[in-house]
Amino acid sequence: MLSPKAFRDAYDDEELAEELPDSPIGSLRDIQYLYGKLYTLATTGGGEYAPYLTPDAADDLIDTDDSLLVVRVDVSGSEPRLADDQLGAVWSTRYTEGLIEKVGHCYFQNRGAGIDHSITHKSGKNKSPERLGEYAKHRFTRWPSEDAVQHLIKEHPDGWIIDRLAEVADNEALLTEIKEEVQRQISGDQTALITVQVKTESNEGYQWPADVDVLMEGMRAQRLSKLVTKNKASDSSGEAYDLVTRERSRTVGTAQDPINYYLGKQREKFPGLDIEEAWRSHPISEDAAVTVMNAEEFVEACTYRTFGTKVYYLPYFFGQPTPEKARKLYGLLYRTAVDDEDMTPVEKAYEEYKQHRFDETALRFYVSAVMPHQMSRYDVFGETLNGRLHYPRQLAIAHNHLVKNTSAFVSEERDDWTAPMPTNEKWELLASGNNRLRAISTGWYFYQTFAERDDTDADADDPRIQALVNVLSGEPIAVDVLLEEFVSRISSEETDDEYDGFPSFLVASQFAQLCALADGDLELLTTFDPGKEPITHEPTYEEYTMEIPDILATDGGHPADAKLESFIEETPALAPDPDGPSITDERRGAFLLGALVGDIGSYQEYSENRSTTLVDQYPVKSITRSRIKKVTQETIAKTLTYTRQEKKEGKSYPGTKADYIVDRLRETILDPDPDEWEIDTDDLRFYYALGITYGMNDHPDWDKVETDDQPDLEEEY
Amino acid sequence: MGQESLEQWAENDEGDTDSGDTATPERCLSVTVRGPWGHFRRIEGNVVKQTYRIIPRTTVAGLFAAVLGIERDGYYDLFAAGESAVAIQPVSEIRTINMPMNTLSTADGNLQSLNGRGKLSVKLPDPTTLRQQHNYEVLVDPAYRIDIWLADNDRYRELRDMLEAGKSHYVPSLGLSEHLAEIEYHGEFDVEPGPRGDSVDVDSAVPDAVEDIVLEPGTRCQVEESPAFMTADAGGRTTAGFTAYTYNPDAGCLKVKDVEPSRVDGRTVVFV
Repeated sequence: MLSPKAFRDAYDDEELAEELPDSPIGSLRDIQYLYGKLYTLATTGGGEYAPYLTPDAADDLIDTDDSLLVVRVDVSGSEPRLADDQLGAVWSTRYTEGLIEKVGHCYFQNRGAGIDHSITHKSGKNKSPERLGEYAKHRFTRWPSEDAVQHLIKEHPDGWIIDRLAEVADNEALLTEIKEEVQRQISGDQTALITVQVKTESNEGYQWPADVDVLMEGMRAQRLSKLVTKNKASDSSGEAYDLVTRERSRTVGTAQDPINYYLGKQREKFPGLDIEEAWRSHPISEDAAVTVMNAEEFVEACTYRTFGTKVYYLPYFFGQPTPEKARKLYGLLYRTAVDDEDMTPVEKAYEEYKQHRFDETALRFYVSAVMPHQMSRYDVFGETLNGRLHYPRQLAIAHNHLVKNTSAFVSEERDDWTAPMPTNEKWELLASGNNRLRAISTGWYFYQTFAERDDTDADADDPRIQALVNVLSGEPIAVDVLLEEFVSRISSEETDDEYDGFPSFLVASQFAQLCALADGDLELLTTFDPGKEPITHEPTYEEYTMEIPDILATDGGHPADAKLESFIEETPALAPDPDGPSITDERRGAFLLGALVGDIGSYQEYSENRSTTLVDQYPVKSITRSRIKKVTQETIAKTLTYTRQEKKEGKSYPGTKADYIVDRLRETILDPDPDEWEIDTDDLRFYYALGITYGMNDHPDWDKVETDDQPDLEEEY
Repeated sequence: MGQESLEQWAENDEGDTDSGDTATPERCLSVTVRGPWGHFRRIEGNVVKQTYRIIPRTTVAGLFAAVLGIERDGYYDLFAAGESAVAIQPVSEIRTINMPMNTLSTADGNLQSLNGRGKLSVKLPDPTTLRQQHNYEVLVDPAYRIDIWLADNDRYRELRDMLEAGKSHYVPSLGLSEHLAEIEYHGEFDVEPGPRGDSVDVDSAVPDAVEDIVLEPGTRCQVEESPAFMTADAGGRTTAGFTAYTYNPDAGCLKVKDVEPSRVDGRTVVFV
């Protein structure tokens, strides 16, 4: 394959424009056609037969000993005979780069079994000299007698050459000689490409297949015959407008689709479909069909497996392919196909983008998550023709920014109190990292936060696949689905014996994801429920920069109080609605209850050495609208118990324990009465879980406090 | 469809003598078609059933032919290029979901005849065989405002009368017969030349002008190529032309330069 630079040198603008389609990219076929074109240009070059050749099919044999066997026949006389010159009847040599074009090999994979359409044949792995001798005979006994090739005897001016080759097959003595000669040349088991050279004029030399037009034409005829005969079709072809080039041409019905979206015989649901008429419903010209098939190498290079599906990411440039866009695309495809680096095409594109190789708004991806059930039965679980680098990249940036720079995840320098959310360098979603784009483009981003599933078999309605495709195409994800997935994952980790304690880091990760998706520029969250709308709004957490002016210092109030106040104010999902009572009040109630449960729970654990705390007592799964009141009463009662207990032990602080949470909780939990709440259960549970995470993490920042302080000072004030 | 249509068209629309591929009509009928579901199978698949996002022009033709009661393969000339003009505007955000469906094979060998020797007979798949589950990509709550003009005056009037009366010969559907469509008739409108200028905000999907779209960071813009015209021959039908539609999936407008849009009922649309 040509390097991008060699590609640039090989084709100037004019030559390249000549090869490119005249219509804009508007379908998967258009993309496949463009890939096929670029691949052909980069491998076999231009020319009539180029799209039919498969120069890479015998790559493994290049520059190995005895990898090419050439049977040499002189058909210039009245009867065919084998060569008797210096090279002899069978010439065993090395298959080299220079010979790739000469042998004109055309091999196609068809459901596991391959077939050579060219007179040149590639043997199976390590065949005995005897077998190789047989294959050499087949060049004459089989190839010339193929129906498609036989047609040429009459139709092609050099059709007689086919006839002469077929005569070799009738001559036992010649066949025996060929076989014996092969066995003489080859000493042991060998994989080889077997071809012929023919001498057609007495005064000329022996010619390679590529130089004998009728042999190449025979190869093409064979190849094309497969486009119209397959399964029960005997000749599925007709005149129609090609769906790629839009030109009127002979269209074929049984061309292979490299990603198996289309099969001639698929009939269920559409009665009256006849494979013989498939050229009508899927009109593709012969050339386009072959070109589309040549896209395979590039298409396969742009795949990735995730969630039990095979995901195709096919990059292309928006609009009409131009030489400039084609070269850039070639560079991208070439590097994706050649590089061993385990990178998704999205990451590759980002690398290229960073080097200013192209304008981002014009680059698109065809993205499709495919579930191959069997060889030929595919299902598509998520698809878009409009994936863009912009959305995953901005999401990565927004997420990194959020966990690294905002007050929700980072505590203020001057504060010795924690940030609202716990962070952990080892939790990918809670630490800023360079791998975020990869996580997003592979789906790992959602794998960590959504409900877990059996990934051996993909599910048509797996929301992770939908979320992945949505993010790539900039389509909003339903916040309802997100909350349902989040809560389901929290509940399963809470009950899983493998995990000890409340999954704080998970909840914080989910929250970070939620906030990143709600980023105002991306708007990747949507809902039909007006009550959930605030969740889709970007939070306004203060951003920390290196310089912090002194005037912002707290007024002497307790840091936990100020922190809670600002966290609520800056989180639209929790902030009081200026227009009066709304679902946010109920959500805030759930959050505050969680915060209190988390706060008292960790007090019980660290100061009281309780093994079962309120957090265990009221797991997320147990919270419903009808239980809210009871849990609230019992939790508040606990704060009074512990206040009394501590004060008896001589500690002194104004008010009661955690009263900054309790006061706010009382306000929200009473009006309206929880019996009349309308908030969805998943919504309620997620924000309750978020509250627990907040409450458990609400303590002095140990990293910034004198280390000889006792942990139980935590609650003292 | 009689051949008279062309003459009549020339008589009645003298201002529009250009009978090129895109005819700009003087007036048109305007409807909104909507339904809970829609599925317009993309031609590049049959094993996988993905849907176009914009109702293809050929489907629009079939839909109005159904209103008029014209049989299959009988209406392609009526809706041919130059003989008709159609503008399509998505009016609700375009959304799809995967809908697995249980299906039976309709291959010849799997069909049974009911009342095979009778005057009326029908072929059905054997309902006792096992179903295969296939996944359909289905549009959710699709809705399109469609402006249509036909050169054939008789048919045009007939269509107007049917739409006015809220009647339809066959049951209108969105791609598959099970996805019933509701047609809301807005009336007949004059088609006026649209605004000209460096770039114009177009409300409808924009046919065959991908290169003229002004890509804006905040606006989502997508392209799809679908069949636009059909033609019948002795053995069946083939697609006679494709259109690449550029559209805004959020049902907003797109900025386009170098197009000649039309104004219909206060909206800017492009006919094809």
